[in-house]
Amino acid sequence: MPTVSRKIERLINLTIALLATKRYLTKSEIFRTVEGYEGSAETKERMFERDKEDLRSLGITIDVGSFDPLFNDEAGYRIRSESYQLDLGDITPTEMSLLSLAADAWQGAAFAEQAQSAILKLSSIGVPADPIDIPGFSPKLSNSSKDLETISGAIGGSDYLIFDYLSPSLLSERREVIPIALSNKSGFWYVSGVDKAVQEVRTFRLDRVQGAITVLKNKEDFEFPTDFELDQTDASSAIRFAIIDVRKGKGHAIRALATSVTDLGEWDQIKVPIYTIEYLTAQILWHGDDVFVHEPVDLRENVVQQLEALVVNHE
Amino acid sequence: MSKNVSAPLLRTARLLDLVPFLNTHQGIALKDLAAHFDVTPTQMSADLMTLWMCGLPGYTPLELMDLEFESGFVTIRNAPTLAKPRTITFQEGVALLLGLDLVAASIPENRIDLLTSVQSLRERLTRILGVPVRLSVVAAASGAVWTTISQAVTAHSGLEIHYHSLYKDQISQRSVMPVDLYDSNGHQYMRAFCFTANDYREFRVDRITSATSAAVPADLSAESTNPEKIRFRITVNNRSRDVAERFAISDMALETEIELSSYSRQWIERSVMASGATVTLNSPVEIRSELAKRAQLMLNRYKGA
Repeated sequence: MPTVSRKIERLINLTIALLATKRYLTKSEIFRTVEGYEGSAETKERMFERDKEDLRSLGITIDVGSFDPLFNDEAGYRIRSESYQLDLGDITPTEMSLLSLAADAWQGAAFAEQAQSAILKLSSIGVPADPIDIPGFSPKLSNSSKDLETISGAIGGSDYLIFDYLSPSLLSERREVIPIALSNKSGFWYVSGVDKAVQEVRTFRLDRVQGAITVLKNKEDFEFPTDFELDQTDASSAIRFAIIDVRKGKGHAIRALATSVTDLGEWDQIKVPIYTIEYLTAQILWHGDDVFVHEPVDLRENVVQQLEALVVNHE
Repeated sequence: MSKNVSAPLLRTARLLDLVPFLNTHQGIALKDLAAHFDVTPTQMSADLMTLWMCGLPGYTPLELMDLEFESGFVTIRNAPTLAKPRTITFQEGVALLLGLDLVAASIPENRIDLLTSVQSLRERLTRILGVPVRLSVVAAASGAVWTTISQAVTAHSGLEIHYHSLYKDQISQRSVMPVDLYDSNGHQYMRAFCFTANDYREFRVDRITSATSAAVPADLSAESTNPEKIRFRITVNNRSRDVAERFAISDMALETEIELSSYSRQWIERSVMASGATVTLNSPVEIRSELAKRAQLMLNRYKGA
């Protein structure tokens, strides 16, 4: 236990020394002045390397630079207060309260620990939370996957995620993706990222990932795609539309997709964006004879083919 | 903090976070401080002892932190270097941003002040993260519906709801007495006594299209009837992820009969229909022949039109 305490003391002292300095400190300066570096040169060296790693794993960025370019090239170290300190600007009591609610949404879920450690840091700002009244507020991020931590770590480092993904025909396909987005919709988690094979952004539903996700360090520069929008169900991203008749008072699920509605009396005619022919065919068939598709021809033909198979299979 | 951080490192992090907290909470009781950091008072005393040995190089009383905690109340002086809170990590930022999204969805539309605050926090947090990551949570239910039903659950008061029943393809108006709210498979459900059905029902919250509070009879005496499950058998004709997910088949073998069950005949009919050529329903026979008939009628319309 005492040695553990000594190590912790040394890490704190190192942090203080590197934060307080206005210039880079060389290793020899650190060994000479920071308490806790003892033993042979080799031992000190090893201690210091491990300490740097430990501080980095706590999210502390250590700058490495030249101590004094005029006299020698020895590397020096410092921690910039701008990168060490929290800079959220002025926080109001209301904002503090909103952040606490945001953290509470993770109760019992994947990021519960991260959310609470963030709130612990924020509480040091010394602004008390001002209880706000959101009636009946109790949001929960349920169904959270343990992969969220892995994924968000990879987003931060622009690293590759490697995983097996279940294709529409139930084949397990290996994917390598640099993730750029994480979202939750209708109870499902999605990760979007640049798929190495096609060099385009693809979105994956996490419950379709087979087995564990592994992370591979990306050593090359990565540019975040700027034209990517999360809401891809936005009709403006659809290239084609279908014209479909829907019986009045029926077809609620397919009506929810419609971008326009024309009243035809007993029926309505709706225009629906096509993301995939297969998806829309299933939607149309689900609604039975309450729905009738006019165009495009390939969609209509696919519906007819499925109906023919249904008749044959069930005779 | 990442879960794979070792105990000594967790303690280091705690000590670093203790300093700024004490700076803004001078004179806090030791036991309150321990509770805030979720450790025992004994552990907190040990933490403070360790911290007391730390400071700037030189380590004379002039450079060491000045901690006073023997009285049971803690004060700190001479710790300017660590005085400001540490910045949040990438994962902490992601957690807060996703949480804020959900908070925003629950804020009533007329609270523009709160919505503006959330937006401003999102921008400031995103700046700290340093990469243009896109994060979003789309709340399943509208804020207004969620507010009304959760209030009704707490107050034990009745509701008038419009509910979209997916299997029946109907939006029905129902008067209900909510019992509770629960999560299942990522969806939120409201359990309620439904006066329209005169029985207990479960409603998926994202399919409640509107909710208003309403007076309902106090009498919930009806016996809950247990509807009978319908057993059905299907054969899967080709491998399809959609079909596996629709019928919740974890291990799909082709050309092999699978027995399943459902409470809703309409669900069975629609699910087989939506699966098109991929699935054959073998039994019950009456649903099977009904399906063939319906598919033929639809086909006639396409052929004749």
